[in-house]
Amino acid sequence: MIIRGVQTDADERKTHFGFETVSEAEKTEKVYKVFENVAKKYDIMNDAMSLGIHRLWKDRLLHVMNPVPGTKLLDVAGGTGDITFRFVDYVRFRLRCQTRRELKSRQSLSWQQIAESYGQNESKSLGGSHAIVCDINKQMLKVGKQKAQSLGYTKGVSWVVGNAEELPFDDNKFDVYTIAFGIRNVTHISQALEEAYRVLKPGGRFLCLEFSRVNNPFLSRLYDLYSFQVIPVLGEVIAGDWKSYQYLVESIRRFPEQEEFKAMMEDVGFLKTEYHNITSGVVAIHSGFKL
Amino acid sequence: SFRTMLRNGCRLALRLNARLVHVVSVIPTGSRQFSSTIKRSSDNLKGKEQNKAFDTSVLEYLVCPLSKKPLRYEESTDELINEELGIAYPVIDGIPNMIPQDARVVNRNEDNPVSGP
Repeated sequence: MIIRGVQTDADERKTHFGFETVSEAEKTEKVYKVFENVAKKYDIMNDAMSLGIHRLWKDRLLHVMNPVPGTKLLDVAGGTGDITFRFVDYVRFRLRCQTRRELKSRQSLSWQQIAESYGQNESKSLGGSHAIVCDINKQMLKVGKQKAQSLGYTKGVSWVVGNAEELPFDDNKFDVYTIAFGIRNVTHISQALEEAYRVLKPGGRFLCLEFSRVNNPFLSRLYDLYSFQVIPVLGEVIAGDWKSYQYLVESIRRFPEQEEFKAMMEDVGFLKTEYHNITSGVVAIHSGFKL
Repeated sequence: SFRTMLRNGCRLALRLNARLVHVVSVIPTGSRQFSSTIKRSSDNLKGKEQNKAFDTSVLEYLVCPLSKKPLRYEESTDELINEELGIAYPVIDGIPNMIPQDARVVNRNEDNPVSGP
């Protein structure tokens, strides 16, 4: 008879929480608390810390994605909805251009027929596109949903509390899976990648926007200085939370660098994997396809 | 904090101002504009209810994270139920919570649901 200890595996296996070493169960809880604390000030802090540049990074992600109307998007760790709102704007713009082009080609039709074509497009809100924002943190989603209501992003957007390591979605459902500044907070990154592979349709695209390694040594020094001296102070002054932002900068250093993460994607089965460095590698967009 | 109080105060003032302007425009002209004011305030209430309501269009994508089987939306308790495993996921403020640890166990006999750990 084999006698096993009462401790579960998660309590025994160790992982990192920033520069601390903690058990895996602890990490999940600590990360949850971090985002619960920062949720209300999340957007303001992003603007302050990156001097508004995070908006450009997210815009770039959408340009790489280049979605067409009818796309089904799963925005994991989507929190306050930044990526999803940009997706909706992009798709709406394309739909308007499409509608205009179609109407131009039909100028010989009667007024009734043109009116009917307007009616068709209204009923398929966003032209059949749908975005689901999935996040493990209820506070972040609450802030996101309120933002959506006040900015008018209610049609075609759904909000779900879910774990990236155990997604509540069926296989082969989504055209695009994005995870922006979220994957470094996941306790088991490979599991999240496997789930991403599972829920994507064949031909679907995985996109990850995340902080990465700066390749220029001089810039790297400057970046380190800024990260460790300025950001936690901003965190204390604006959000009243030094520790959460200390965790943030440490977690960035702990995340695998570009090539390593690309290899992790390939291990799970993604093909045509590549990454684009932005701002000298401060941020990188990793892309892969399920083929 | 003082800043949030100031922000909320400004927002309230703007809202009151908007309503005041609307009332003033209603007084001289007659019943048609009056009925539009009523419709506007009832739409506001509807909007608040919509915030709480669960948008069932997401059901075509959602499954139980444990068994990956489809779920049934139970409107009376505002829960998503996995009949097979006998668990129910709560829907709070229109957002379904699909974390297995937050789900409750439902007794096979639907009449007496039992809360689980």
